[in-house]
Amino acid sequence: MSSLKRQIKTEVKKMRSIEMQKLRSYEDKKMRRNSTSQPLNLLTSEIPASQPRNLSTSIFDISSPYISRLAKIERVARLTEKERLFTIAFEDKKTLGHSPGQFIMLSIPGYGEAPISVSSTPNKRNTFELCVRAVGNLTNALHNLTKGDRLWIRGPYGKGFPVEELKGKDLLFIAGGIGLVPMRSLIKTVLSERPSYGKIKLLYGVKSPDEILFKDELSEWQQTASMNVSITIDKPYPEWKGNTGVVTTLLPPLKIDETKTVVIVVGPPVMYKYVIMSLGDKRIAGHDIYLSLERRMKCGLGKCGHCQINSIYVCQEGPVFRLSDIRYLREAI
Amino acid sequence: MEYRFLPKKGIAPFVTGLLKDFKVYGPVEKDGFPMYGEITSPKDIHLSHAPTHLSPKQFLFPPKETILRFKNGAKPALEPVIEAHNQALFGIHSCDIHAIKLLDRVFSYGPRDVNYLKRRDKTVIIGIDCVPDKYCFCKSVNTMTVDSGFDLFLHDVGSGFVVEVGTQTGKNLLYKNAKTKKATMKEIKKIKEIRDKKAEMFVTKLNAEASTLPLIYSGSYNSPVWEKIGKICYGCGSCNNVCPTCYCFDVRDEIKTNLTEGERFRVWDACTLEDFAKVAGGHNFRKTRAERLRHRFNRKFQYLADKFGGLFCVGCGRCIRTCLVNINIAEVTNELIEEANKDRS
Repeated sequence: MSSLKRQIKTEVKKMRSIEMQKLRSYEDKKMRRNSTSQPLNLLTSEIPASQPRNLSTSIFDISSPYISRLAKIERVARLTEKERLFTIAFEDKKTLGHSPGQFIMLSIPGYGEAPISVSSTPNKRNTFELCVRAVGNLTNALHNLTKGDRLWIRGPYGKGFPVEELKGKDLLFIAGGIGLVPMRSLIKTVLSERPSYGKIKLLYGVKSPDEILFKDELSEWQQTASMNVSITIDKPYPEWKGNTGVVTTLLPPLKIDETKTVVIVVGPPVMYKYVIMSLGDKRIAGHDIYLSLERRMKCGLGKCGHCQINSIYVCQEGPVFRLSDIRYLREAI
Repeated sequence: MEYRFLPKKGIAPFVTGLLKDFKVYGPVEKDGFPMYGEITSPKDIHLSHAPTHLSPKQFLFPPKETILRFKNGAKPALEPVIEAHNQALFGIHSCDIHAIKLLDRVFSYGPRDVNYLKRRDKTVIIGIDCVPDKYCFCKSVNTMTVDSGFDLFLHDVGSGFVVEVGTQTGKNLLYKNAKTKKATMKEIKKIKEIRDKKAEMFVTKLNAEASTLPLIYSGSYNSPVWEKIGKICYGCGSCNNVCPTCYCFDVRDEIKTNLTEGERFRVWDACTLEDFAKVAGGHNFRKTRAERLRHRFNRKFQYLADKFGGLFCVGCGRCIRTCLVNINIAEVTNELIEEANKDRS
């Protein structure tokens, strides 16, 4: 029995290496083609006539990039009136293999597809979590699904947070509304290796007390993980005894060591401009600020054009960006 | 480069030969307008030199294309759909060949688009010389001539066609389906003569070198031009639809009446439409028509040139001809050039 297993294993290994070789030779060819062709200048001249017309010599072993994997809802938790947390596992038991900050394309055939950021840490291998607000056709349909229902997932896509670069730093998380959803993936990853990081603070702004997400986890992080959590509510509410005002009001009194702090900001588009200004007052360099940009990804493959900011496709080069890379990119913030 | 001579009456048997192996699309006349359509006999071909309303991108990147078929229910299934058949695009102008080469770059960049590339792989392109109308400005963006990206290219030299052979596939097709002879030096020289004449015919011109246009556009972000054209633009998306290099699309689902089976398809989308950059929460990243037009124009002259290395305006003039309110991409660009020159002096 074990020898059979071994045999299968070696077979699989062989197949994989052949696949890799094919891929590599394709990449090589591409490289060579690029290096022999003239500098990127179609303005005046042409791709040399020697370039083969066949663009896709080895492409046909690659399947359609639109194909999704079947997944099953393991659990649904109601977080607020509009948001639910879905715990999802692939039917084939495989791992999603994401990094914090990445997103997936979720589809319910008939209702369509939508980009959703992953909210759980990659440490959780068998399942992953998506926190979804019901705002559109697809997300409303998703809210009608329950445990055991199936949906389709492709991805993960995009570039996430640079987890390794954050090690040894003080971390300041600034979240607005459902910005906490993708951020939670990073926070949980960081907290799973708490000693590798310095001081950790979270500033979280929401519209009203009943829109606070992950209430239990917030207090757990505050109590057990030596992480400082401050929440603020946009406008005063009768039963609310905490901070009021937008999230930037929490910044001025903070003591931050600007030499070793990295700031991670995720929130609605309107929030970024003001948070960035306040962080400037704190002398934080744009190099040390990361943000995740929301756009309307339709394909996730850098083709459909919906998420484009100037020459950047957010679904490919983002959604997480270093502020210094996009500060002067028009229309980004 | 090989040049063969094909007498005019040799075109019909050549097309008949093509029809045996390919679906052939070429210039036809419909309601008095030149357009590309399917050709079932050589008689359908209407070799006018006027630019067509829609570009041949429709045959490589269809307006609506199924990408997946799905089935819901107890055994949910999702299968990819990749449709491609042997097709010959006959009578394609040089601007459109340039456009196809740009689309090739787009769809093979990053995660490769199998649907497009497979179709492209089964496509034979036969180009033909053309005569500019008053909106064409391909000379200004260096797309008046083309020396690759086609299998065969027909140059009308009066007495017949000098056929420029681009690929081995093209050569085989020509030898198989037409009686040609080696073109004489005189006939080949005629190509250049005609080309020189053509170069003098342009009414619409850009007043700057093509290679300077990305820079000019990058400095034009706050130009009053955008507000000016934004005020008259209907935001109808026609310019996107007729553009040979616009490739943005939307992905949608359609379910059959049995409510279990259906298709996921992609359809052409347009960045000038209001909700193109709108996210689920309601925020629109390009709210005004001025912003959307600026985005579109910059895509053609700056953004995509940055990414893929070529101007994405091939000077076909289709968006000018189709615009309901006469927004003229060449005039707009010339205004920006003028502003840039003023700034410099």
